[in-house]
Amino acid sequence: MTWSSGLRRVPAGLTMVLITLIALGPIYWVVVSAFKTPQEIIRPTPTLWPQTWTTHNFSRLLETTPYTTYLSNSLLVALGTTVLTVVLAVCAAYGLYRLEVPGSGMIAGLILVAFMIPGTLLIVPLYGILSDIGLINSLAGLILVNVAFTAPFCTWLLRGFIMSVPKEIDEAAAIDGAGPVRTMFQIVLPLMAPGLATAVVYSFVFAWTEYVYATQFILDDRLHTLPIGLSAIVGQYTIDWGLVMAGTVFTILPTLILFIVAGRYFVGGLITGANKT
Amino acid sequence: MGAPDRSAPGRAPDSPAAPAPRSRTSRRRRRGGIKHDLFGYLLLTPILAVMALVLALPLVQAVLTSLRDERVIGSPSETVGFDTYLIILQDPAFWDALGRSGLWLLLNLAVQTVLAFGTALLLQRQGWWARTARVWVVLPWVIPTVAVAVIWQWMLNSNYGVITHAFAAIGIDLGSPFSDPGIALITVILVNSWHWFPLAAVVIYGALATVPVSVLEAAKVDGANAWQTFWAVTFPILQPVLFALGLVGSLWSFNVLDTILLTTGGGPAGATTTMPMYVYETAFDAFRSSQAAAASVLTVLVLGVAAALFVRFLRPKGSP
Repeated sequence: MTWSSGLRRVPAGLTMVLITLIALGPIYWVVVSAFKTPQEIIRPTPTLWPQTWTTHNFSRLLETTPYTTYLSNSLLVALGTTVLTVVLAVCAAYGLYRLEVPGSGMIAGLILVAFMIPGTLLIVPLYGILSDIGLINSLAGLILVNVAFTAPFCTWLLRGFIMSVPKEIDEAAAIDGAGPVRTMFQIVLPLMAPGLATAVVYSFVFAWTEYVYATQFILDDRLHTLPIGLSAIVGQYTIDWGLVMAGTVFTILPTLILFIVAGRYFVGGLITGANKT
Repeated sequence: MGAPDRSAPGRAPDSPAAPAPRSRTSRRRRRGGIKHDLFGYLLLTPILAVMALVLALPLVQAVLTSLRDERVIGSPSETVGFDTYLIILQDPAFWDALGRSGLWLLLNLAVQTVLAFGTALLLQRQGWWARTARVWVVLPWVIPTVAVAVIWQWMLNSNYGVITHAFAAIGIDLGSPFSDPGIALITVILVNSWHWFPLAAVVIYGALATVPVSVLEAAKVDGANAWQTFWAVTFPILQPVLFALGLVGSLWSFNVLDTILLTTGGGPAGATTTMPMYVYETAFDAFRSSQAAAASVLTVLVLGVAAALFVRFLRPKGSP
């Protein structure tokens, strides 16, 4: 029983239908549209279910566009961003909230400010800096930029998880002769697994969906990520909705799979994080 | 369970002559010494290095650029001091964009708060809907903004759009929502809210889960109605999370560029040109780097003041 049960006069069932329709309706619509024939897609009266199922749009997408190149670039960027973010954020959170080095309050403040900086402001100067260090038009450069935005947020996110691991464990480990490095990796880190899952999902989704930097800092078509590839398909074949629908489905599919596998950990992780705020 | 504990009935005299148990609880955390601190700083070095290179250095460069008169990025320029700022402050388009950003922020906040709270309350319930929804409700957030833009442009297409047809069936002509100056801004706000409300919903749901059931039941026994219970019990417990969410969410909302860029590109006729869009256009369409930088610096100042006021007046008692 929760306080919402006091609101039982509110037609909850109706709201559930509405939320379901709002959240899933557009996704349902794009997925079924992708399986329709081009003629059925632009029919004046939309059909809620494809009259004839076809995978023609998908095969055309794979034949006429470098989709697989975009996919592998996106995977590289997303995985690179995720691994680096988790490593950096875990280290930073451990130093700030566990070891509590002198000045950690100020550094924590800096990190808070960092994830509120308007990204648009940095495009122009960042372009110059990346050129100077040879990371313009490179996936590594894109990963570096993504990490600068995800790592500070994930550090903040991990705060609650680190604090929920009892300090006594560290002391016991020290008595048993474990050094600070062993205590961190073998004792505290495994206890933070849900927090790590949350950081993984957040940074993967950020890198997977990122558009503005990917379009500004990558010039070579062979290095484009999926969002850029999809926007190119939209621009190139404005009328070819079948191709656009198939491209959209293939762009969202990998994150859908990630969420079906790890979604519950993400929601659970955010809850623990909020609990300790 | 039968172990003796500190709350044993024999009311202990609060005499200062019994310091032993006190010192156990108020023991100061021992600082780990130089080795401990060195390890800590070593752990902090990577993130600080990345932040310095990707955030701090460009920020400093943006400020320096704003004091010059650079046009095309990288072209020769001279230092002109605050002249560029005067140009920006006299540009009506800057003030329009700032006002539009204010409207963008408030409406996004309003729409997302309603959607997120409604969703969070339903997620708390028992049953299969809530159990499955906890996984799928986040889907709009994990979809790339490019796909979000495509989906909504498709559903609102004036010829084939399913929403257009649904509204036509009840006698409402939507026209082309993304190119109608009267409703373009609200359309993009709704699309952006669709993209972001799941994240807020999940965070609020997490916070709601921290409200102790016993307190809620006590309020019920005392005869409080749902509204009174919410303001007297639930809201104070949610406040720290709502405060953090409000601050971070507002700043993220204000800084949204991709949703606008990919749906309307700031048009029609500037109807959706919020501040980030204005900065983007000034830098990349009008090739006025210094003016874009000056507008950015002014925006950061406005955001900083707004955030400071938010923290000053809305910070819950006892939160860091």
